[in-house]
Amino acid sequence: MIRESTIMKIHYATALGSVALVVIHILFRFTQNFHDSLKFENVLINYSLLPYSILLELILILISIHGFNGLRIILLELNQGKNYETLVTYSCLASMIALITYGSRTILMASMGMI
Amino acid sequence: MNKHQNNRAGIRAWLNPWRYGIERFAYWLMRITGIGLLIYFIIHIYETSSILEGKEIWNKMLDLTQTTEGHIILILVIGMATFHTINGIRIMLGHGGIGIGNASRPDYPYIPKSQNMKNKLCIYASVGLAALAMLYGAEVMFGE
Repeated sequence: MIRESTIMKIHYATALGSVALVVIHILFRFTQNFHDSLKFENVLINYSLLPYSILLELILILISIHGFNGLRIILLELNQGKNYETLVTYSCLASMIALITYGSRTILMASMGMI
Repeated sequence: MNKHQNNRAGIRAWLNPWRYGIERFAYWLMRITGIGLLIYFIIHIYETSSILEGKEIWNKMLDLTQTTEGHIILILVIGMATFHTINGIRIMLGHGGIGIGNASRPDYPYIPKSQNMKNKLCIYASVGLAALAMLYGAEVMFGE
């Protein structure tokens, strides 16, 4: 098991990383009119750019880790106990992996033009 | 359930933001915004996956979000993200020992040094900046 102090460092590192990358992600919406930037063709062009796809993948991983660890912390504040803590930890871990897998599938297929 | 567990105030107490001052309110809002942002993130991942289904499905999904209600939800998300980020940085600095004062002998009326004016101002600034970010978001989404 990882120490809670190490988990908190990961929590803070993923938070700072996410903020920096999400700012770039949002700025991409302002490269043109907000509504136009969401048009099908424009979004596909975004996905076809390799650096942008890597950025999206990193955002997906960082926010998933930060978000589900945050949820784990909230749930552990509400209740404690060996079985409960194990259940919460593994459920959050499984949800995190599932979300990363699902999101990665979209990024990978869209960036490779498999539409 | 044992006696100790029965004694817990539980989720009702957790949901009450009005005890112990502004720090308690920030604690509560940090968790509420965190949960809200996680829900939005999961929906966003699902929503964007519709691009794999082709242009028609993407446009249908976009139509669902490009409504007044959709814009209001997005404005709330902007506010939640801004507060969560700024208050999160305050907490990180506090955990690193920055801005919480030096350790000293506890004297009556036992006000924790960590709950000082710097931290209170930071919380008010987080709420204020979140409100400004929401106004800007509203201008971008409704102003075009």
